[in-house]
Amino acid sequence: MAKFLGIDKVLSVLNIVKENGGLRASLYKMFRMDELKVGTLVGTDKYGNKYYENKRFFYGRNRWIEYAPYYHLDYDGSQVPAEWFGWLHYKTDLPPDQEPFRPKYKWMLDHTENLSGTPGQYMPYSTTRPKIEPWIPTKRC
Amino acid sequence: MLRTTLLKALTGSKLGPKHITVLSRAASDVAKKPEKIEVFIDDQPVLVEPGTTVLQAAALVGVEIPRFCYHERLAVAGNCRMCLVEVEKSPKPVAACAMPVMKGWRIKTNSEMTKKAREGVMEFLLVNHPLDCPICDQGGECDLQDQSMAFGSDRSRFTDIDFSGKRAVEDKDIGPLIKTIMTRCIHCTRCIRFASEIAGVDDLGTTGRGSGMEIGTYVQKFFLSELSGNVIDLCPVGALTSKPYSFTARPWEIRKIDSIDVLDAVGSNIVVSTRTGEVMRIMPRTNEEINEEWLSDKARFAYDGLKRQRLVTPMLKATNGELKPVDWETALLSVAKVMKNAGSSIGAIAGGLADAEALVALKDLLNRLGSENLCTEHTFPMDGSATDLRSSYLLNNKIMGAEEADFALLIGTNPRFEAPLLNSRLRKAYVHKELDVALIGPKVNLTYGYNHLGDDPEVISKIASGSHPIAQKLKSAKKPLIILGADLLQRPDGAAILSQVQKIASLASPAEGWKVFNILHKVASQVAALDVGYTPGVDKIRENNPKVIFLLGADECAIDRSDLPEGCFVVYQGHHGDHGATIADAVLPGAAYTEKQATYVNTEGRAQQTLPAVSPPGNAREDWKIIRALSEILGAPLPYDSLEDIRCRLHQVAPHLTRYGDAESANYFKQAQELAKNIQSDKISGSPIDVKIKELKDFYMTDAISRASPTMAKCVQAVLKQEQSKY
Repeated sequence: MAKFLGIDKVLSVLNIVKENGGLRASLYKMFRMDELKVGTLVGTDKYGNKYYENKRFFYGRNRWIEYAPYYHLDYDGSQVPAEWFGWLHYKTDLPPDQEPFRPKYKWMLDHTENLSGTPGQYMPYSTTRPKIEPWIPTKRC
Repeated sequence: MLRTTLLKALTGSKLGPKHITVLSRAASDVAKKPEKIEVFIDDQPVLVEPGTTVLQAAALVGVEIPRFCYHERLAVAGNCRMCLVEVEKSPKPVAACAMPVMKGWRIKTNSEMTKKAREGVMEFLLVNHPLDCPICDQGGECDLQDQSMAFGSDRSRFTDIDFSGKRAVEDKDIGPLIKTIMTRCIHCTRCIRFASEIAGVDDLGTTGRGSGMEIGTYVQKFFLSELSGNVIDLCPVGALTSKPYSFTARPWEIRKIDSIDVLDAVGSNIVVSTRTGEVMRIMPRTNEEINEEWLSDKARFAYDGLKRQRLVTPMLKATNGELKPVDWETALLSVAKVMKNAGSSIGAIAGGLADAEALVALKDLLNRLGSENLCTEHTFPMDGSATDLRSSYLLNNKIMGAEEADFALLIGTNPRFEAPLLNSRLRKAYVHKELDVALIGPKVNLTYGYNHLGDDPEVISKIASGSHPIAQKLKSAKKPLIILGADLLQRPDGAAILSQVQKIASLASPAEGWKVFNILHKVASQVAALDVGYTPGVDKIRENNPKVIFLLGADECAIDRSDLPEGCFVVYQGHHGDHGATIADAVLPGAAYTEKQATYVNTEGRAQQTLPAVSPPGNAREDWKIIRALSEILGAPLPYDSLEDIRCRLHQVAPHLTRYGDAESANYFKQAQELAKNIQSDKISGSPIDVKIKELKDFYMTDAISRASPTMAKCVQAVLKQEQSKY
């Protein structure tokens, strides 16, 4: 009956809002990520990003990431560390902590996001000789 | 450049120096004696003087005979054989460059025999010449390349069946300017003849004979002369090329801009070659009245100084005493503020590289602010006629006139290094016309013999009173020349010396139109500065203690911080960070001579203009525009907005400044002498006469541009190294 009347849809919306921590938190999530979903938390990486899965959605939408809150609106795909990339893109079904063959050495570098457009970006320097060498004042008064 | 020619035609100004030489040459041909002989060049009759060579006769009818060793300004060698032509009824072809024509000769420059002779000579030359045109710096402007295309055979018989390789000669190290690839040498001996005839340095010669012949210096030695760079232009192949220019550009990718050299007061005509906004090299441009086709090494090789130590942005002194880069607006506003507060207590000093436009603009600006303290760095006596009579500060007899002289008295000058191209004229007269030279000053090597009268200033008074034997010689000479170095007049007794020399000049009884009294300046801006009314010398600044001092490219340490009152604000406008910029409170970057269209007047009073070859680096601007912008902020705007406007103003101040190419002559020698009479001649002190540039090592670095040039520094090192050598 409830299904026939469509009340279950309303109930599931209420459930989603509840799962996401209430109306206020849900609205904030909608603002930040443009969608509101529920799923099982598969894991959290060292940067605080949370990885969810919900098989109810179709393939391609059923695994997703909630970026760590401190990114606020400045999140992008390069913030996903390499070990979670595979799971998120269906290369593997096992989260990194359960993968037996994932290499782990102490010399491996930490993940860095793409720094383009920030002060930390890579700037190639010119290797050509400058045509004019300017005068540099000597340091004296 | 068509544009300049058109402009000249439209403005109705006189023809350039190129046209004048053509006209004067034509005129002198007409005036010659009538006993001419008739010869036929390719059946064209031509009347020539007896003694004319076949090659010259052919040139008269416009037939150019190929040549390698022959050069108009050098002695005839006749050893390349490229100029072989057929003469009718002569069994063998004759060498056109060395053979004088006989009456009725029929010369065939296009016959089978001539062609065969040329092809044969070319074949022999190419047998011993490497095929490295693609990596040769002369490629594209090589006489051998051009003439082998035009006159060589169309196929080769050269097959190296033994694989023994071509003749190879070891390269020689003859200094930091000239690169030698001796394998390419075709033994034309032009460089040898130039060195011994014009440069007067008998360092080059040949050793060995036949295929073992080599051009060289006999022993390991540098070919060091102030004119050495000219052998690069003379070399018809790539055996002698420019070391700083090597492998940098190709002749077909460079733009050539006609300009004027400003590193000495001669005002040599130059061609500035540029590529990708960079000066690649400087070469001489023929001007018979000034530099013929030569150029001094400083003018030719100091161009890399234009790329170093440049001022590229305005700078202001911060509170910690360091110059900090600022933008133009800030710089001009703060300079204007200080100048406004100073009222009329402003002084200006113009340096040796300042152009006439900037000089006039600066003078106009300071006059509008109520100041008359405008000085030049280089002194000239202000007693007597001072700078009011132009004849007392010009090389009145012109540079070309030095060739005609029969007696020259040099006082306190070393023309070899102060004006190398004037010295080459004097040497020419000495070698070809038996010029007698006497010198008062330190004993220096002038490349020709002279009578050294000692360095005691007393000699000048003795000659003036007629008690010295030289005075008799001067009186009897038909075309005497007195050249007085401008440096000598910087002494405290300069005025007395000047008046004595003027008196000496009046002793002579020269031919009509001949001018005896000549001053040789050392810097390019001096004549223009005196023409527009600058006060020579910085004494005025020392007396007046201005609150603001404006240095327009003044880099010769004429004034120092210690000469200026406490808290004096120094503004430096110029193109190089040199002495001037180090003492400045504000630096305004200007343009160097290759970067602006500007007027310079050389020591003979000839106005010439430079043309912009490249744009000024960074935020640097043309000098007169900076002063114009400053005047706007100061609230005393100068009434010119374009180059045409300021040229009009130049014309108002001194009309000869815009008659480009003409040397405006000056007279009133008698009046100048009258005015000089009340100067006491006994004021001459006993200190010996000295010149600053005595040797070659002093010649290379004399101004802000050449001091910044690494090539010039290498030259100085080479001279010092040569002094260590036992040869």
